[in-house]
Amino acid sequence: MTFKAWIRTITFYELVVGMKATMSHLLHYKPITMQYPHEKRALPDNYRGMLSLLRYDDGTEKCVGCDLCEAACPSRVIRVVSAEVPGEPTKRYSKEYYMDMTRCLFCGLCVDACPVDALGMTREYEWSVYDKRQLHLNKEQLLAIGDRSFPVREKQLELQHPNVAFFNVAFKHLPQKPD
Amino acid sequence: MTELGLRLAVSFVQILAEMSIVMFTVAVMTLAERKVLGWMQDRMGPMEVGPYGILQPLADGVKLFFKEDIVPAGANKAMFALAPMLTMVVSMIGFAVIPFGPDMTLDIGGLTIKPFVVADINIGILYILAIASIGAYGIILGGWSSNSKYSLLGGLRSAAQVISYELNVGLAIVGVLLLSGSLSLVEITEAQAGGFWHWFVWGARPDGFFPIHTQVFAFVVFVIAGVAETNRIPFDLPEAESELVAGFFTEYSGMKFAFFVSAEYASMVLVSCVAAALFLGGWNAPYPGTIFEYIGFQQLAWIEHIVWFAAKVYFFLFMFIWLRATLPRLRYDQLMRFGWKVLLPIALANIIITALTVYFFPRG
Repeated sequence: MTFKAWIRTITFYELVVGMKATMSHLLHYKPITMQYPHEKRALPDNYRGMLSLLRYDDGTEKCVGCDLCEAACPSRVIRVVSAEVPGEPTKRYSKEYYMDMTRCLFCGLCVDACPVDALGMTREYEWSVYDKRQLHLNKEQLLAIGDRSFPVREKQLELQHPNVAFFNVAFKHLPQKPD
Repeated sequence: MTELGLRLAVSFVQILAEMSIVMFTVAVMTLAERKVLGWMQDRMGPMEVGPYGILQPLADGVKLFFKEDIVPAGANKAMFALAPMLTMVVSMIGFAVIPFGPDMTLDIGGLTIKPFVVADINIGILYILAIASIGAYGIILGGWSSNSKYSLLGGLRSAAQVISYELNVGLAIVGVLLLSGSLSLVEITEAQAGGFWHWFVWGARPDGFFPIHTQVFAFVVFVIAGVAETNRIPFDLPEAESELVAGFFTEYSGMKFAFFVSAEYASMVLVSCVAAALFLGGWNAPYPGTIFEYIGFQQLAWIEHIVWFAAKVYFFLFMFIWLRATLPRLRYDQLMRFGWKVLLPIALANIIITALTVYFFPRG
């Protein structure tokens, strides 16, 4: 043990350095914690929160029942029962749509997979419940979440199908698909 | 009213006042520890109960009072109930000989009483050493009667630790006793009157300034051993969370648990009081006399004395928290080696040196 180390030992030098560190934190008190229920942190822009189903501006559901979200989901959260729109054999919709949010890992793959942007991730995260069956959501609940989280809805553009336009049997009130 | 009745009544009032002061300090400490610890770790500490969480001790007390009292299967029920009471009583009665304020007397109905010390006995230091040692019994009993291996290990560790460090406390005090020539805490404190250079931690002779009789090594040994004796971090081996769950009070709950915890805090306060009285001049201000005396309020000087005593005690209590925020826990062999191979030789050498200096440079 060198003389310097010996002096440091008997004067509790290391101890004093440590005490100084804690004291400086006390004097320059700046807490990094937050009083959560009273103050909430700003969420990042790409925050992925609760999932929801969206509507067009005229109130119709966007979902076309294609099942791609169900296929994309890695934890098998989603279950879609697809059906034809009554009276319009070319169109389909989701007759039933269930999400078991107890399994969801909020990866956002279903949102990416959706071809008509019918799914959206809201910024809600306070979804603690006492009964986990309350996290098994049906279509109405998911649409309600979308309604309260996305007040600005996308305008529905129904376009002339290019094939019928070619055969000149088109509906006159529908616009052409832009190039 | 007979004289005995009056004496009993006065003693009862004094004890009640002292108990409530100590329990108030304990409550303040439970909050202060959590707040200061939080601030030092960039947290806020309790914030919910009352403004800035200042009513937290009250909420804790109510919670612990209404909690279920669980006695583990196979526990020795009588001992299990006795242990927290023993610890609590022992850590409270130590305060009987602590002088909180100056050595003045009051006349009440023909009785002469000392308002700031419950019992000014002439062996105050020995009494405190004896009482502090009995505190270990409560811990060992609690550890043994719980019928749990963690509790038992915690209790045994506590026994070994208290024996090792009690010795250092006793030897560190001897230097002070040599200087003051008395075992009474009141007389020891009075021997340090007249400015901080007469405190035993500085140790000037009554007519000088040079620290010829300095007890600073004894002071360091006493404070370290005091931290160890109250089972505080970094010497909290008996209740090491990472190894022994909670040590000797693993199996305790409700009010019994509260007794153990408040006994720990009360013994912290006791050690702080003793350290302040022995080494930092007790109620004496760091300047000669008192300010109240100079400006002509002789009869109010006791307020200043009490404020100084409280300031010293709270300095030590803050240091307990500060140490807890800073230091990690010692390993058990390190603890024992430090006690026996470092502190004990220092304390012994301090006795010899102090004896020699007192012999060659007598204190008037």
